[in-house]
Amino acid sequence: MAEGKKQKVMHKKLARDVYQALEDVVGKRWINEKRSLVETYSKLSIEGMTFVRKHQKDETILPACVVLPGSTEEVQSIVKICNRYGVPFVPFTNGQVFCTPTNDVPTLVIHLSRMNKIINIDAENMAATLEAYVDYAQLQAEAMKQGLWNGGTPLATTLCKLSSQFSFAGLWQTDLKYGLLNRNIVSVKMVLPDGEILTIGSRCLPKAGDYWEYGPGPDLLGIQRGGAGSNGIVTEITVKLHPWAGDETLPEVPHGRPSLEDVHDPKYDSPPPPANHKLYWIEFNDMETQIKTMRDISHAGIAIGLNATGVYSAYYCSQTQEMTWDRCENKFFPDYNCYAILAGITSPKQIEYEEKVLKRIVQRNGGTFLSADHKPEVLEALKPWNLDCIRHTCGYRMNRKMYASAWLPTGPFEVAKQTQQFWSDALNAFGECDITDRGGADDTPFLYALQRGRFSFAEVDNYPDPTNPDEIVKAAGFGVYGMARLVKENVCPCLMAFLSVEPFTTMFPEVGPDQHILFRKIRKVFDPKGVNAPGRQVYTKEEWENAPAELKQMVNKMREMVGLEAVQ
Amino acid sequence: MAEEKNEKKVFEKDLDDYRDQVWGCARCNWCQNQWGWNVKSAEFSEICPAFHEYRFFPYSGMGKMHMARAILEGDFDYEDAPELAEFVYTCTTCGACEMNCQRMQDKEPLKVNEALRAKLVADGIGPMPDHKKLISSVKSYDNPWMQPRTQRKRWAKKIGIKDVNKEPAETLYFVGCTTALDPSMTKAAQDTANILLKAGVDLGTLGQNELCCGSPIARIGDRETFFELARRNIDRLNALGLKEIVTSCPGCYRAIKLDYAEIPDVPAINFEVLHTVQYIDRLIQEGRLTFTKEIPLKVTWHDPCHLGRHCGIYEEPRNILKALPGIEFVEKERIKDQSWCCGGGGGARTAFLEFAQVTAAKLIDEVKKTTGAEAIVTCCPFCEQNIGDVLARTGDSLQLIDLTDLVVRAL
Repeated sequence: MAEGKKQKVMHKKLARDVYQALEDVVGKRWINEKRSLVETYSKLSIEGMTFVRKHQKDETILPACVVLPGSTEEVQSIVKICNRYGVPFVPFTNGQVFCTPTNDVPTLVIHLSRMNKIINIDAENMAATLEAYVDYAQLQAEAMKQGLWNGGTPLATTLCKLSSQFSFAGLWQTDLKYGLLNRNIVSVKMVLPDGEILTIGSRCLPKAGDYWEYGPGPDLLGIQRGGAGSNGIVTEITVKLHPWAGDETLPEVPHGRPSLEDVHDPKYDSPPPPANHKLYWIEFNDMETQIKTMRDISHAGIAIGLNATGVYSAYYCSQTQEMTWDRCENKFFPDYNCYAILAGITSPKQIEYEEKVLKRIVQRNGGTFLSADHKPEVLEALKPWNLDCIRHTCGYRMNRKMYASAWLPTGPFEVAKQTQQFWSDALNAFGECDITDRGGADDTPFLYALQRGRFSFAEVDNYPDPTNPDEIVKAAGFGVYGMARLVKENVCPCLMAFLSVEPFTTMFPEVGPDQHILFRKIRKVFDPKGVNAPGRQVYTKEEWENAPAELKQMVNKMREMVGLEAVQ
Repeated sequence: MAEEKNEKKVFEKDLDDYRDQVWGCARCNWCQNQWGWNVKSAEFSEICPAFHEYRFFPYSGMGKMHMARAILEGDFDYEDAPELAEFVYTCTTCGACEMNCQRMQDKEPLKVNEALRAKLVADGIGPMPDHKKLISSVKSYDNPWMQPRTQRKRWAKKIGIKDVNKEPAETLYFVGCTTALDPSMTKAAQDTANILLKAGVDLGTLGQNELCCGSPIARIGDRETFFELARRNIDRLNALGLKEIVTSCPGCYRAIKLDYAEIPDVPAINFEVLHTVQYIDRLIQEGRLTFTKEIPLKVTWHDPCHLGRHCGIYEEPRNILKALPGIEFVEKERIKDQSWCCGGGGGARTAFLEFAQVTAAKLIDEVKKTTGAEAIVTCCPFCEQNIGDVLARTGDSLQLIDLTDLVVRAL
């Protein structure tokens, strides 16, 4: 097999009594520590440093064992065993980010893949209760049958389980109307890091029912939101539902279904929008006009979703890597743009009214609708969005090499301008990893209008070659530079926990200030033995002291580069 | 800017040719789930039979990518991971992961897994013990079922069909090993021949000289044996001066139509390849087949993976069903490119019978819950074996019918 010279990477195993205790909980079938199996729980998709660790043959990236609980009670028993024996554990759904072990202590992965049932849809009170592994497509498919939906789907419907989205933010296409997922939660049931079960929301009182997110006393949901899997394991989640204007199922693509022989034919990516929904694309000459128009549309109270896409259209709407690169190079998609999703929720006439308002705003501000008369070929290419705006499917199309780092700043719409400037500075400082990295510098960053435009969320990313560790390290430099620059320039910390995972939590004491000290105290309360994803979101004092020196040096280098003092 | 595509043929590629892909797996999980736009219920939202059953990632396309990466980089070897072959072979090669990953990430987890299988075979680690018997049978008897060659022509005893070894024919019926040799499948062979002959097709067979197409061997990863079979078949078939060949088996269809062209240093085939459903649909369109009898039956169609998802033959069988008088055709929830595999392909039924049958049981469950059909209709001997076994074992009243049977009934 491998040419003999290559260095093996072997995982540590749990003590036998621990393994046996876990097996007693879940049964032989649902526990496994085989070498090839743990491999599949170790390289993540968008955490660039796990790629570097793979290249470095870092054995500590491998979990010791993977266990698949089937119920809240089994999760609780597993967590109690981990506390009893001092075994660290990481909760795991799909493994996109932040779920590999961070240290050399044999670590258990608790993969929730068996907990994938919709427990209940309460149509009268517009809420759905789900097990932890249910994804957006599953929920939406069932909710639509009852004239409801969950208000949107982020990134990729199957990538995102609602429970793990609660642990981050749950950003989606329709935030304009419905807000982030983590503001659409009624209640959660969690197994805390010490093995206690916590029920948050109105159902914390037996038989009170699921109707809002608060129970008596301090807002526990607020403490758990954005926990990045570090504050316990969500085993059940109840989310709000909203009226759905479309049919019971999404429409079929008129050109039929692809086969493996012709899967890249763009005709299969040209769905119509769902019934009673319309998608409008608008092009602008510059960022100023884009921002003004997005603000005006938001304030007018129309549309359920409003976002600007920039380079992302090249990823999402191109069927191959070559097409993506070609379209980036040739500036196929408009540099400045936005799309507005209109829905006839109250009646079909709602769309007519909103369309009039939209056209008036666009005309007044100087935008141009993509249409049969203006760039029809671009409008045709953008058709995947017709369904993606409602059930995000192509939205994680990785027609690029890999995600390595991302900046996710929030703020008023002008945050797009700041992001564009800072990203350009980073490109000048580090150089691009791939032509797609120019997205956000030469055109608009991805820009989401949230909550009627009260604030927005910008995104820029870079995409190195995953087989080239030097390029990934360079991309990681972008990420750390971004953190430092955003803090230096007082741009609000990112929503999706990117500033509340270590080493950033500790190494940016400007946030809070000294937010990490309070976080440490909270962690101590919830996780007295420090077994839940240690070293992930909040270091203990000891973990900080033991954190790799090179990691601290890397962050400090970027801090100094932007004019912040080094952290000791 | 665009990097040059790797122009190697599929069967020339080894794991190293997929290095960029295996490093770049984005863990989007589309390899386990239906394409998002097509999900119609929570219960039937998944698409990978192995992950659905076992729930650990190595059973998914994503898991195969990650294991392949580790093997490629020498992170572990076979001694460290004796379980590897089981993960690699617990896969029906249905191609659902490949479909969604190609569409989403421009990557090929099934081809990666097949390259991994080929490596295991080349290194003496694969295939699974039961696969070795199958390969041995092909080498000894030219079929995977340990049947003497003379058995191949028994199905045609009472049918006046040409023997192309003795007289030329325009169209060759390439029956396939399973259809010709499994007693439960020979009726499909007879029905196919009768339909084509009735339509006036100048039809012949190779009789006992027909060879295994090599499809099961290719899927298992024994490239050397597959190449040899392909060469023998191409030489023999090309020499016959045929206009076209018709196959009953989607595996044969895919192998001869697509896989042979991906083998290095073999001649191109000089005839058209059609599956029975394509041929019958064409005969109906041309008015050469007309139906006179009503069949009062509510049916659904099961897309065999190697015919549907792999080759895009979706509409032809549906056209036929819609043309049959009395047939009420209803679709199940997962269809066409997103169809749920029966569990019988890729060597899974041979090596992991229980898994194969659990997968078929899930298909039956979907049919019952989403269609109300009285019968599943399909056109693949492997699907019919696998689904048929489960229906027989459970005494289920749901019927399983080969499409040619319905056509004969309606003539």
